[in-house]
Amino acid sequence: MISVNNIHTYYGHIHAVKGISFEVRQGEITALIGANGAGKSTTIKTICGLLHPREGSILLDGAPIHKLSADKVVRLGVGLVPEGRRVFPVLTVDENLDMGAYHRSDQAEIAKDKAQMYETFPALKGREKQLAGSLSGGEQQMLAIARALMSKPKLLAMDEPSLGLAPLLVKRVFEIIADLNQQGMTILLSEQNARGALKIAHQGIVLETGLVRFADDAASLRSNAVIQRAYLGAG
Amino acid sequence: MNINTVSIFLQTIVGGIGIGSLYALVALGYSMQYRSMGLVNFAQGSIYMIGTYFGIIWYQGMVMGLQVPYPIAFLIGIVLNMGLGLILERIFRPLANLDLMLMLLGTIGLGYVLDNMAIITWGAEGFAVKSPLPNTPIIIGGVALLPQMLLLIGVSAILMVGLTVFLSKAKIGKAMRAAASDRETASAMGIPVNTTNAVSFAIGCGLAAAAGILAAPIVYVNPAMGGPVGLKGFAAFILGGAGSIPGAIVGGLVFGVLEAVSAGFVSSAYTKGIAFVVMVVVLMFRPGGIVGEVTVDKV
Ligand SMILES: Nc1ncnc2c1ncn2[C@@H]1O[C@H](COP(=O)(O)OP(=O)(O)O)[C@@H](O)[C@H]1O
Ligand SMILES: [Mg+2]
Repeated sequence: MISVNNIHTYYGHIHAVKGISFEVRQGEITALIGANGAGKSTTIKTICGLLHPREGSILLDGAPIHKLSADKVVRLGVGLVPEGRRVFPVLTVDENLDMGAYHRSDQAEIAKDKAQMYETFPALKGREKQLAGSLSGGEQQMLAIARALMSKPKLLAMDEPSLGLAPLLVKRVFEIIADLNQQGMTILLSEQNARGALKIAHQGIVLETGLVRFADDAASLRSNAVIQRAYLGAG
Repeated sequence: MNINTVSIFLQTIVGGIGIGSLYALVALGYSMQYRSMGLVNFAQGSIYMIGTYFGIIWYQGMVMGLQVPYPIAFLIGIVLNMGLGLILERIFRPLANLDLMLMLLGTIGLGYVLDNMAIITWGAEGFAVKSPLPNTPIIIGGVALLPQMLLLIGVSAILMVGLTVFLSKAKIGKAMRAAASDRETASAMGIPVNTTNAVSFAIGCGLAAAAGILAAPIVYVNPAMGGPVGLKGFAAFILGGAGSIPGAIVGGLVFGVLEAVSAGFVSSAYTKGIAFVVMVVVLMFRPGGIVGEVTVDKV
């Protein structure tokens, strides 16, 4: 579905992503694992069009998207759940969902999808008119996921959705991701929580300082001794 | 206090609200542009002046001798100034979110260019504009009010309510609020941020034109008219809380009333000073301004 080919992304002079390649396959969860600063967010932002690679290409179903601006990439089917949730605090829950559906004009379908979101994420139900800034961290995460789904993405890119949540909520977020995938959603999941991510993922890409260190199916990564020591907290 | 003092006081307040509506519209222009682009547009006074001409020249028969009715001239002026806004937004785009010094230089420089273009096109000396309404004051409860002043207050109020409704209900209005609070995420949600910025900028210019055309029969139209209004609109924008929509409205009205009261009851010699002194004092206690929402993405 998405093929990332040798991308190099910079922040001014800082070379943050130094030639990363991987594939996200249709119907799968691809986990992007790495410590803080490894380049996960930079990779995800480059895919979404928020950053542009200086070299390399990104193909969505064969078509290059790496030169497009973010608002165009969404139209082509890449939805983003940003790091730190980034719901619009001054907009209501309902308006946040509207913003997720910004590029759509099928009013009746949008209304139906919104109703569906309140079913899928009961934490949001009854709070349609509440400002998103007044929600708890967990609720904001649910809203950020629902907002991204409102764009009807082919690929859902999630940047550290478990970050800063209580253990019970972390578990809930991973369940939701697994459920979405079960219903057919292709997901690119960036996580520092390698244990949680590799449990639900099909394949894993391990990043270190802007480079791919390992890339394999999730089960093999879980049983890899180096990964276990460095990322899964095993002795 | 006798009845006469009361009515003079009321009259002063209404006058202050009138002039304050003018400042509020200009302050809303600053706010719309600051929210969207992080840009403090010091050319706003000149944009207000150009907008005034863009409307009034039709009403005054300065375009091919056409005598256009005031309401139509008002609309033409707004539309033309919004068009100017779309062009200016392209010019200012590289200045967005840069440091204040560059914005200061860039926008003030552009203000001079606009002022000089006005002088070249319409001449340095100005002209008085006849109100489309009768010049005889309407007396309400002992308070004498100029019809043009009431028109200024009424239409400004409609525009302010209209803008508020637009931002809260229209799809693009919501997108403008979203982009003001988090530009990056807004674009990742599919909002074309450059377009919403351009619309914000154009709205700011349209409001300035509306203010100028409404004020034209009260003030004297000339290429230098933008300076003081731009400055006071800026003060109102800061006073209310930079980037806040209700803040710009409250800031403008408070500033206008302060100015009128200080002129009427202290001394007109101090008018300019007093309102600014009050502004500084308010900001000492409320650095975020009177309203000061946290709606603006300060990159
Ligand atoms: N806005 C930025 N400006 C400069 N450097 C940045 C910026 N964002 C990230 N970086 C740098 O890029 C590298 C990768 O960061 P990031 O992609 O955010 O990592 P991760 O998401 O894996 O924690 C880090 O060295 C980080 O310091
Ligand atoms: Mg990150």
